[in-house]
This record gives sequence, structure tokens and C-alpha cells, in this order.
Amino acid sequence: MTSQDDDSDTDTPVQLLTRVSRRLAVVALAAVAFVGTAVASNAAVGLDSASQQSLSVPRWLYVATGGAVIGASALLASFVTDRRFVASIHSWRRFLTDGRTLRRGARVGLSVLGVVLLPLVVLRGLTGPQVPTVNFALVLVFAGMRAGFTMATYLFGNAWPSLNPWRTIAEFAPNGFVSYPERFGRWPAVGGLLALVWVETTTGVTSLPSVLATTIAVYSVVTTVGAILVGPDEWFEFVDPVSVFFAFYGRVAPLTWTREGLELHLPGMRLVEEEFVDGLDDVAFVVALVWELTFSGFVTTAAGASFVELVAGVGLPPLLVYVVLYLGGFAAFVGLYVLAANVAADYLPTYRSARELAVWFAPPLLAIAAGYHLAHYFAFFVSLLPTLVTVLGSPFSPPPNPLVLTLPAWFGSLNIAFVLLGHLFAIWVAHSIAYERFPSRVQAIRSQYSFVLVMMLYTALSLWLISLPTAPPAFL
Amino acid sequence: MTNTHTTSTGESVSDAPDAAYICATCGQAYPTETLLIHHRGIRHPDDLSETELEQYHEAYAEEEATLRRFRIIALGGIVLLYFGFLFMYAVFAL
Ligand SMILES: [Zn+2]
Repeated sequence: MTSQDDDSDTDTPVQLLTRVSRRLAVVALAAVAFVGTAVASNAAVGLDSASQQSLSVPRWLYVATGGAVIGASALLASFVTDRRFVASIHSWRRFLTDGRTLRRGARVGLSVLGVVLLPLVVLRGLTGPQVPTVNFALVLVFAGMRAGFTMATYLFGNAWPSLNPWRTIAEFAPNGFVSYPERFGRWPAVGGLLALVWVETTTGVTSLPSVLATTIAVYSVVTTVGAILVGPDEWFEFVDPVSVFFAFYGRVAPLTWTREGLELHLPGMRLVEEEFVDGLDDVAFVVALVWELTFSGFVTTAAGASFVELVAGVGLPPLLVYVVLYLGGFAAFVGLYVLAANVAADYLPTYRSARELAVWFAPPLLAIAAGYHLAHYFAFFVSLLPTLVTVLGSPFSPPPNPLVLTLPAWFGSLNIAFVLLGHLFAIWVAHSIAYERFPSRVQAIRSQYSFVLVMMLYTALSLWLISLPTAPPAFL
Repeated sequence: MTNTHTTSTGESVSDAPDAAYICATCGQAYPTETLLIHHRGIRHPDDLSETELEQYHEAYAEEEATLRRFRIIALGGIVLLYFGFLFMYAVFAL
């Protein structure tokens, strides 16, 4: 249906202009990268306020540039109007292997590993040295799972269903005594994710191994009982926040097992192909993934800490300030996204409801969340990697001299690249989804206006957060 | 009298008002005839009649023209953005 060849004579000047404009965009990107380096290396120096003042670019300009890069790339994406080309990007796939034995072996190996590691984590959390940087439980859960395994999940593929020790246990036990009420959808997982991040931020699980071990023990009891009651398939697909977390991040990844074998896609393109977001519960979960990283980013900045101190200084209990900030911010993030969907449903000539549009364009937010996650955890993961390897090698004898790598200053500028990269993927994914769903290409382009605005706000906010000096959160 | 012509899928047709243009093949509703023509041309290219095919080619050409205008405006926007930022960097960052 796409006969591009018949209008080649009229297209030439536009194509020329396209080429020129692309070159301009490259220059703009280079400018952002350069500015980014200046800011980030200053932030990496630490809390030294003198170095913050010597910033060569005002912070508002740096933040605005990030937003503008997203806007400009959305405009550039709209130049690509060949449906066949757009479809060829996201439908590209290669079968790597049908390796059934490989798959079965990996599955058994991971299951055994998970079942061995879970009690070890609880045990060493309770009995090991109560020092965060050497404790087996703490290093494995935060450097290993929260940072490393999550990165592997969106960069390569989701291995959690096999590793998940609670699933392995529930599958061996008699299960499925109650049927899961379908109308709950994934709302329990949304609540669960918010609860887990709340526990992570406020209860000291990130620094007190025994508290972490107790939390994991409680979580294990709840999860195992729940999975045995409603059956592991329903529980881990709809209720368990950790499994939904990895399942959603796994959609960003290029690798997936299908019935035919291991399949390779271009990164992020399965977000277009697979319609796994199908309700507002899923939309809320996706937004929660973006929000939790923004929130933990905010409370660990000096600005965030002094904001909480300021509000608490009026006489409010600090924990209440955090609750309001946490849930209020989440509501604002969801509200902003739903508002964008409503606005789009209003100005587009379509019978599609705002709800449908919100569901369609939620998957690109996962690419954004992955970019944020990488920006927040990559340096952390790399610096703790030697410790992680050591504690995994000898769970019962903590390393006498834990080696924490000191990272070069340019590592900080990677964060800006990760945030922008996540957004650029999101722009392309949203563009491809719009082309899949709307009959008219003009309509597809117009459908993106309000969503791109929201993305620009998200980018600006997170670029601002990663440029701020960090500080321990107030009162926690 | 509105929803009686709902066919197979039905999901998003149910709230479509009277004036809707309904796809005869899959039942999807569209607020304008052009959108329906586009939809049928893309989703059901083998079901098109002679006149429909002609309509689709016309609509496609018209869309191309609109896209060309859009590209020029978008290009203007990018250039404006670029020089705007260049200017701001010159003033605030140097
Ligand atoms: Zn149809």
C-alpha cells in the first residue's frame, strides 16, 4: 500500500532538508552530551558546593535542552512516514536456537540456584556481619537483584520465572485451591510494588541485613501461601509485584523464548509487537516503575532531603511527609499520563476512548523506566561488582577487605546518556505503535503530541534529579 | 437505532454515534469517511472494490501532501529550536 516511488520527484527537496535537519540534530545531541559532561562531572565530585557553583551551564538550560532533545527527536521520528519501513524495524526477528535441552537445563539450574540462595539470604542476613557492604544478603539483594539482575532482564531477557524460588516451591506443592478473581487484574501487583518500594525507602532494609532478612522471610510466607492458594501461574502473573516487575522489564529486552526457540528482536521492539498492557492496572504498574525511580532519586538528593526537612519543620511527622510525597507523586504521574490520553482522545478524530489510548501508549514508558534504572543503578552495580563476586563465592566468610571500585568521573555523564537513550527508544516505540493502530499516518503523528509532552516533562524531571548532589534522605 | 449495525468485533463500535463510518469487513467505526478509506486500504487491501481502490489512492495522495506540509513545519520547528538553544547557550553558558 505504500507506493513511495511515484512521488520521488516532489520529495527531493524535502529529503535534502531532512538530511540537513538530521545533521543539525546530531550537532544538537553532541552539544547536549558536552553540557552533560560538564554538569555530571561536577555532581560526581560530590557534595562540594564550590564545584557546583563553577557550573558552566545553568541547570535550567541543561534540563530544558534534555526536554528539547526529546521534542526534536519526536519531530524527526515523524519524518519517517513509510509504514513498511516502520513495521520492518519492529517485526525484525531471528531465531537463534531451538535448544530445548539448553532451555530445560538452564531452567533446572536456575530453579536450583534460586531455592539454594533464598534460605542463604535469610540466614546470612540474620547471622552474618551487620555491615551493609560485606553482608551476603544485602549485597546479593541490592547489588545482585535490584541492580544487576534487573539490568540483565531489560538488556537481555527475563530469567526470573525460572530463578523465582517461590514459584519453584509452589509448583512442587499441591496448589490452586481458590480461583483468582479476574476483576482484580494486576491491581494487587501495583499495590505490592508501591509497598515494596516504600519498605525499601523507609525501613532500613538497604542498610540493616537483619531487617532485610526478616522482610524477605515475611514476603516468602505471603508469596508461598498466596501462590499455593490461587496457583503459581495466576499468582505470579497478576499478584506478585516482583514477578510482574521482571516480566514488564523483560518486554524491553531483545531475547525471548517462544515455542520455536530463542528469538532475537531489536531492543525495545517487542514493546510494539506484543499487546501485554491491556488495562489501566497495567498502565498504573508501568507508571509506577517510572515513578519509583524518580521518587528514590528525589529523596536521596540534597534538595529532596532539605525539602522533607523543611516541610517536617512545620510540625508534620516526617513519615507522613514521605507518604504524601510518595503517593501524591505517583497519583500526579498517573494523572498526567491519563490527562495526556484524554487530551489526545479529544483532539483526534477517533472513536477510541482515552482509556484505550492510555493502554496503547503505556509500553514505551517501560523503555523510559529502563533508561532511568540504568542511570540510577549502573554505577552502583559496577562499583559493587567485585564485592558481589566475592560474597557469592564464599557466602559464609565475609570478605575481610571489601573492594568497592572508585569510578572515574565520566561515569556520571553516562547517566545522562542512559536517560536520553531510554526516551529516544520510547519515542520510536510510540511512533511505531501509532502507525500500527491508526489508519491515517497524519492521525498517527498527531496522536503523539500530548504523549511526547509528558515524556519531555519526565525527561526534564529526571535529568534535573541526576544533576543534583546526593545526600542521605532526611529522618530515615 | 445506533448500535444495531454492530458486527463481529463490537468492542469499540458500541459507543459510536449514528454518523459513524463502519468497516464492512471488520466492523470498526470511524468518524470520517477518509479514515475508513485509509483503514480499508491498509487492513483489507484484498477486499477493496474498484471505486474503493481509487478512493484509497486519492486519499493516500492527499495524505502525502499533508505529510509534506507537516514535514516543512516540523523542520521549521527543529531549526527554530536549534537556533533558539544555540542563542541561549551563547548568552547563558559562555
Ligand atoms: Zn476493517
